[in-house]
Amino acid sequence: MSRITIDPVTRIEGHLRIDVEVNGGRVANAWSSGQMFRGIERILQGRDPRDAWLFTQRFCGVCTTVHAIASVRAVENALGLEVPLNAQYIRNLIIAAHALHDHIVHFYHLSALDWVDVVSALKADPAKAATLAESLSDWPNNNRLQLKAVQDRVKGFVEAGQLGIFTNGYWGHPAMKLPPEVNLLAVAHYLEALEYQRRANQVVAILGSKTPNIQNLAVGGVANAINLDNEATLNMKKLYQVKDLLDGMMAFVEKVYFPDICAVGAMYADWFNYGKGVPNYLAVPDLPLDGKGTQFDLPGGTIMNGDLSTIREIKSFEDPYFKDNVAECIARSWYDGDWTKHPWDESTDPKYGEWQDDGKYSWIKAPRFNGEVVQVGPLAQVLVGVALKHEPTVRWAMKTLETAGKIAGAQLSPAILHSTLGRHAARMIRTAVIGEVALKHWQLLIENIKKGDVSIYNKPEFKGEQRGFGFHEAPRGTLSHWVVIRDGKIANYQAVVPSTWNAGPRDDKGRMGPYEASLVGNPVANPELPLEVLRTVHSFDPCIACAIHTLDPEGQEIARVKAL
Amino acid sequence: MIRVLGLGNVLMSDDGFGPFVVEHLLARYEFGADVEVIDVGTPGLDLTPYLGDAAAVVIVDTVKSQGAPGELRLYRKAQLLRHPPQPRTSPHDPGLSEALFALTLAGTDPGEVLLVGAIPEHVGMGSRLSPALQAAVEPAALEVVTELRRLGATARVREPQAEVKPWWIAGREHVDS
Repeated sequence: MSRITIDPVTRIEGHLRIDVEVNGGRVANAWSSGQMFRGIERILQGRDPRDAWLFTQRFCGVCTTVHAIASVRAVENALGLEVPLNAQYIRNLIIAAHALHDHIVHFYHLSALDWVDVVSALKADPAKAATLAESLSDWPNNNRLQLKAVQDRVKGFVEAGQLGIFTNGYWGHPAMKLPPEVNLLAVAHYLEALEYQRRANQVVAILGSKTPNIQNLAVGGVANAINLDNEATLNMKKLYQVKDLLDGMMAFVEKVYFPDICAVGAMYADWFNYGKGVPNYLAVPDLPLDGKGTQFDLPGGTIMNGDLSTIREIKSFEDPYFKDNVAECIARSWYDGDWTKHPWDESTDPKYGEWQDDGKYSWIKAPRFNGEVVQVGPLAQVLVGVALKHEPTVRWAMKTLETAGKIAGAQLSPAILHSTLGRHAARMIRTAVIGEVALKHWQLLIENIKKGDVSIYNKPEFKGEQRGFGFHEAPRGTLSHWVVIRDGKIANYQAVVPSTWNAGPRDDKGRMGPYEASLVGNPVANPELPLEVLRTVHSFDPCIACAIHTLDPEGQEIARVKAL
Repeated sequence: MIRVLGLGNVLMSDDGFGPFVVEHLLARYEFGADVEVIDVGTPGLDLTPYLGDAAAVVIVDTVKSQGAPGELRLYRKAQLLRHPPQPRTSPHDPGLSEALFALTLAGTDPGEVLLVGAIPEHVGMGSRLSPALQAAVEPAALEVVTELRRLGATARVREPQAEVKPWWIAGREHVDS
């Protein structure tokens, strides 16, 4: 039995630490730990609820807009305040652009290098790579000349010793299995994805006034004045810019991200057997179609034991099935006590102790839904969509399984989605669905404005004690903010974030969180280079201690991988 | 385009140094049309759109280094690219050097990079800087202005001087007020 600790020490305080015990080349036990106290909600106490979203969007520099959205929804819910249709559509477009951006970046820039061997791309035949790419997609940049140019660039880097910057990657690891041509295509798309990251950012900038921290929200609506003919306001020219950018992103998703996932999935098909973990799923509905949040374009609900027939739908911003069933347990977390409480009743009293395998070992609380451990994220979103027969989700899921199956020469069933690679496939499926739906919301916004409706804001009224919750189905999964307001000031605020659902520790009954459970049974070829562990952790797209950013330009050690 | 980027979290005391310097710069100076001064928070991987295609970038952040709190350290692109990034677990891990690397490989990296770093005293929940870091805001802003002028960009002292009022301390005006 050997023990591996993956403990990044990038910042002054650490954040996500993963410990696994390996026995006979397989993970036998696992612990996921948040290494930084995240009691940032306390900074909100006593503040004006109308400002909460400005602060919450600083919880995390990657998930800025999602915390802003969940926050205004929570305060609006507390006040029973509807927002005008225009505000809803504008918010939805920001949500969609952010999600497109986040998923593309996650796959290409954070996790693709777990599967793609950059150095192997040097051995590729660009003509063969182009032929292969053309069999999957008509993306114009997949031609021999451009692929050759990418290869020359990488070659130049290697010859100049500059690829040394990546020497701590896992090139040449025995678990890397893609042929050189596929590696070359993936490197080319890694570089192209940078451009789509930039375009998505532009959409958010046009609608949100600024990025990465948007400025256009308000409790009760948005602050985007609308006048289709005025240069200074949201006008037709800006709206068409948004459409062009969304169209371009959707093309990238269809013609690059989709075939890449199908090809990687087919060539690493054994990874559909690992990483299942907790097959209970939670997703909330999003992209509301009315001011109150009773009709949505993306469905929500729960699925238990991986059985789609157990689907129970979450139907509105008020739904008691969600409101009454979220709780957090601190039995194994570094807080004072061992309670399980509803977010409105929680306190955050840190009590740091030593790491104890059988005791407390994380700053993250363990959220539970209706008493159950649940997994959140794109896989939950897609499975809930399939269970509820959400047309675009079903269509993209089927198309993905068919295309990957064709490349693999095998029949792939939806059951394979409960896995490490299934989470990557689901993320792409969700991205494609959001890309389509975003264009619909763009159309809805234009039509509504053309009807003469230019309202963007309803005034909030505060009185006595008001409690609310706001949820948002963020790229990483279900996010909820819970607020208690007294006489117009925040009395309590809790954010239950997606990575908490997934990365949380064991609970009072000793049940593992989703990361932990998904790691058990994973292969580990070389404990010194635990690539396989990172593959499964990355498939959740972790975003944990989202608080600190201190650069370490002089230091050598950024992450510590310790095999005992 | 020349970009000045303040990195850091304004809810984590000294970690908010970069955004504090941005607020100071915007209150005290007027910049030419080719200069963008942005509080980018803690974007991790999402830093690349702000670095890409810029003629030059000046970054302000806290840094790990030997020395007293509030001391400034300056770094150039080659120094930032010297150390290899390591296996990552979250989108926050890939920082400046990885973003610069990716952009260099894509051929859209900024021509010049200067990192103005301050050694933090205290990083923990809070929206104000420690005294040592507060005292370093003006010197760091001067380093930024000096660099901008060296690059041939305009950075003029604002007359009359506006008050430095970060929203996370001073609050803000509301739509209906």
